[in-house]
Amino acid sequence: MKKKLLAMLLSMAMVVTMLSGCGGSSDAEKDTQNTETKDETTDDETTNDGKEEEAEQKVLPGGGSNIIYIITPSHSNPFFKTESDTAEAKAKELGYEVKTASHDDDATKQMELFENAIADKAAAIICDNAGADATIEAVQKAADAGIPTFLIDREINQEGVAISQIVANNYQGAKAIAEEWVEAMGEEGKYAELLGKESDTNAGVRSSAFHEVIDQYDTLECVATQTANWDQTEGYEKTETILQSNPEITGIICGNDTMAVGAAEACAAAGRKDIKIIGVDGSDEAAALIKDGKMTGTALQQCALIAEMAVEQADKYLKEGSTGLDEKQLVDCVAITKDNVDNLKTFVYKE
Amino acid sequence: MSTDKKSSNNTLAMTLLKGRTFIVLIVLLIFFSITADNFLSMNTALLIGKHVALYGILAIGMTYVIITGGIDLSVGAIVGLGGMIAGGLIQKGLTLEMFGVTLYFSVPMIVLITILLGAVIGAVNGLIITKFNVAPFIATLGMMYVARGLANIHSQGATYSDLKGYEALGNQGWSFFGSRVMGIPVGLIILVILAVIFAVLLKRTAFGWHVFSIGGNEKAAKLSGVKVNKVKILVYVISGICSAVVGIIASSQLAASHPATGESWEMNAIAAAVLGGTSMAGGVGTIGGTIVGAFVIGVINDGMVMCGVSEFWQMVIKGLVIVLAVIIDQFQRNLQAKMALQARNESK
Repeated sequence: MKKKLLAMLLSMAMVVTMLSGCGGSSDAEKDTQNTETKDETTDDETTNDGKEEEAEQKVLPGGGSNIIYIITPSHSNPFFKTESDTAEAKAKELGYEVKTASHDDDATKQMELFENAIADKAAAIICDNAGADATIEAVQKAADAGIPTFLIDREINQEGVAISQIVANNYQGAKAIAEEWVEAMGEEGKYAELLGKESDTNAGVRSSAFHEVIDQYDTLECVATQTANWDQTEGYEKTETILQSNPEITGIICGNDTMAVGAAEACAAAGRKDIKIIGVDGSDEAAALIKDGKMTGTALQQCALIAEMAVEQADKYLKEGSTGLDEKQLVDCVAITKDNVDNLKTFVYKE
Repeated sequence: MSTDKKSSNNTLAMTLLKGRTFIVLIVLLIFFSITADNFLSMNTALLIGKHVALYGILAIGMTYVIITGGIDLSVGAIVGLGGMIAGGLIQKGLTLEMFGVTLYFSVPMIVLITILLGAVIGAVNGLIITKFNVAPFIATLGMMYVARGLANIHSQGATYSDLKGYEALGNQGWSFFGSRVMGIPVGLIILVILAVIFAVLLKRTAFGWHVFSIGGNEKAAKLSGVKVNKVKILVYVISGICSAVVGIIASSQLAASHPATGESWEMNAIAAAVLGGTSMAGGVGTIGGTIVGAFVIGVINDGMVMCGVSEFWQMVIKGLVIVLAVIIDQFQRNLQAKMALQARNESK
């Protein structure tokens, strides 16, 4: 009994020693916010849609070290692995030390990683974030500590906190591939749609872009709409159900490649080779199916390019105090079909 | 137990074994101080403390549950639900449709409501386990899904953002639980306070003794007059309260509450308790040990990130440390049994 008590006292003592002698220091963070002014830089693009905030923001010097933190969702998804690896390679090429970490789409873990980066005096943070709202506080915290954050792939719901937000142009990409699909369908027929997770804005953006193109043709009729939550198994099962209830369809449009791959498998299993399927993302699985003729096409989100841009902008910002570009930047998607699918490998498109 | 001089050598070995988690902690601290540049600083120490607070608090409740021989898988989901309820009360208030009014509560009231909610969910867990004789693993697994589902239903899967409160509604100040007092993270302060309270409750009260006796031998405890069901329900209530507190801290730190918050955190809480010497078979465990266990996990997590270890290796290393700790635990228990036998033989 006594030993246990001793062990407890020891641990308490350790906690107490960790706490002692740490008054004050951290309160300096907050007042950095109030110091406005500083280089407005000769940036003539600042008038674009409410860019004032960025101009007012002071230049963030970085945390003091030469380390760039790259924080992304889990690398078990090749999309994020490519993104992280490309950014890492680029940063090393530019002479930075790199530390990569994954937040597993857990906003609390992401906040902890940001705090680690701050404690590690990171020069900059590149982040594919874990939630449009839940990330704002973390990015703000980094900014308060003088560390600039460059967001890739996903936006946050506030401007003026991050230095750059570089995302794929989902709208343009979905429209481009929808046009290819309309052509493949011969501008007529009945089709089904698989939607992504409804809470995700991208699901809505992609769907409305699809319909902006497709709804111009009266001869194309949408007979079934289902949400498959970005998921391959759900895509497969929903497609099976749709093929039962609406066997007359000749096309399926999907919000992402994962669902499209599921749909393609279901169609293949049902022996329906005539169905034209499209997705968005540009994954290797989709590329393989496009080569086999089981999918019509996909819109490649150039995540590798986006990651490289973010690192280059971080480098420029740290050296010159400005990226010289707008905070929000859209990178066009590439429509991938049988004609150009050979140029695509692990989210990198080479002419 | 009689104590003689001969066993003093063995007791030294025992002390070292009992302090093994603490020794592991020290070794880890030294290791990361050498390998990670900015690791050895007061800032990093406080940061680790802040991160540890989240699952450390969960682990306190978990320790009580595990000592009784149970398990609580619903803690992570209660964290999420607690955060959502609190966030909802701040942003939307409580609308009573039958009266056509919307009530807004002050921050202390919201904290109280959230904790009460945690307690109620814990009580439901306890009731299902005791009254309907459902295995704790199953009962709390079910609760995990129910609570996570309710957290999502509450906002249709959306996030309550910008939880700063409104001056007009008098509910400002939610950010307090994620802030720092004199440089010390509030979460860490709460962890220390709760650890002291629950350590005393476990070691120095009849209730604590009952918790141990149930885990040691439930039938014997019942026969000696312990109100087994009541005590069991109470430990799940404690676990629920701890989870709700974590929900409050987590949503405050992010200034947002997201329904997926706390997913799989129960695993960290269980790992911390086990690392701290709590036996999954019940009857053995200390709050102090659990806190040290939580710090071991925290140091590994933060240290490996600052070392730049890849996420996949982080998982492997974390898993190895946990299993290794339990192996040493078994070793210690065997040694303890052997010593007790030896002591008895010698006294004869």
